[in-house]
Amino acid sequence: MKRISFLLRPRLALGLLLLPLGAALPGCVSVAAYQKVYLNDEDMKLAGKTVEVPETSFESYREGAGGANGGKVGGGCGCN
Amino acid sequence: MKQLFLSLLALSALATPARAQTGTTQTPNRIDGYGAPVGPSVPVSRAPGETTIDILGGYYQQTGSHGAVEGGRGTQQLTDVSPTIIINVPLDTVSRLSVNVGADFYASASTDRIDFALSTPSANDERIHADFGYSREQKAKGTIWGAGVGVSDEWDYFSLSVSGSFAKTSRDGNRQLSLAGQFFQDRVTLITPIELRTNYLGATSGRSQYGTDTRQTYILTATYSQVLSKRLQAAIGTELVSQNGLLSTPFHRVYFRDNPDLNPGSTPGSSFEARFPTAARIENLPRARFKYPVSLRLNYYASDLVQVRGFYRFYNDNFGVTAHTLELELPVKVTPFFVLYPFYRLHTQTAADYFAPFAQHSVADTYYTSDYDLSALMAHKAGLGLRYSPVYGIGRFRVPGKNAQGLPRVMRLKSFDLRYAHYQQFGSTIYAVSDRADLVANIITFDLGFAL
Repeated sequence: MKRISFLLRPRLALGLLLLPLGAALPGCVSVAAYQKVYLNDEDMKLAGKTVEVPETSFESYREGAGGANGGKVGGGCGCN
Repeated sequence: MKQLFLSLLALSALATPARAQTGTTQTPNRIDGYGAPVGPSVPVSRAPGETTIDILGGYYQQTGSHGAVEGGRGTQQLTDVSPTIIINVPLDTVSRLSVNVGADFYASASTDRIDFALSTPSANDERIHADFGYSREQKAKGTIWGAGVGVSDEWDYFSLSVSGSFAKTSRDGNRQLSLAGQFFQDRVTLITPIELRTNYLGATSGRSQYGTDTRQTYILTATYSQVLSKRLQAAIGTELVSQNGLLSTPFHRVYFRDNPDLNPGSTPGSSFEARFPTAARIENLPRARFKYPVSLRLNYYASDLVQVRGFYRFYNDNFGVTAHTLELELPVKVTPFFVLYPFYRLHTQTAADYFAPFAQHSVADTYYTSDYDLSALMAHKAGLGLRYSPVYGIGRFRVPGKNAQGLPRVMRLKSFDLRYAHYQQFGSTIYAVSDRADLVANIITFDLGFAL
């Protein structure tokens, strides 16, 4: 845990999170509908798969952190 | 708060239309049965006017030696079977209704230690849940509005939820902003460890002899997705959560290193002994919690054979938990219709300020828990999934009724997903070896996708 403790600093983490987007956004290109054959692939969906749902649920129970992934974040329970 | 501000700032900056050209798949629906779908998502593979039915099943099994019911030292054995049906019905050309009904059937050796007689009704429980969502799309404006309600019930927990959502897609379909709000009103039955019950009359059934408490959860979700190139797209999101009310679990014991009160001990003829000579207390946590995770998804179509799906999340809350989660999935198209996808997930978190291992709290502490979900740990998950989805479906069969053309209705089995994952926690080295998290879990899930 010590070796990764530097990663637990919030500001640094946020920077790491935004860095790829910051680098990528200026390079955005306009993609026409007929050019989206790759983007429309089932595995390119920007969401977890339906079959993953039970996994994201148990992770939210067994870990003190959750959310921002389409999974459970509190309320509703079934928490045992 | 500073991190929160920075997160919101980043999102608002990204949402400015000046530089964007996106239009991707939408925010994921919440379909795990704890609330109505908050994202007005429509899967890209669904044909207009098509009713889809997903039959999901999951078998989950875990073991570990730090059960919170016994104060952080005791079995964590649990099995859970969770069948779910998700139906998405077009009401007309612009509106859809979604229904999600499911159940959890679980057996927990840990909760069986609430009282001192093993294999009692506390060892098994069921949860049923039902969620209903309505969404309306205005194609000319590129917007989708949605609303939903949900209910969930188990022996010691009852929950109602309402949600609303909005999504706006750019004209060229290259970017999307999705916003959603959700509210839960929960009621918790205060089932406490048997030796800590006041005015306990001896019966083990009937909710009326226990008190109740409430919990409110407010969730605000914002997701922005952007096409970055013909092969690359990303989404950044946050999910701000505010919870009030009872946030501790009433049947979790906490033992103290310096509690002068002796343990009342077990009842005659019991098959379970208390874990510590001095008395336990009921877990106590603050009645307000604020969580602010921020996430990034990045999907890359590397080739017709392999795609790369990446996910990273940073999490922080006012309990003192800071966490990082990294996921990587590599779908491999063995054939155009058969996909194998190995995946790996790494999660690391710091402990909540109120956590201490078994019998290490002081009675002077205001808040205390020995629930290892809130301990410092690292978790690895790895597994393999497969999906089979031929263009014309796997099979078809007639169902009662006729379609708009007067022909018999035909149900199509479109796709089959199967997934196995192995999950293992490793406690932080800040704890003694015997106090480190050691939970191991295995889960198998499947999804049968039908279309009508």
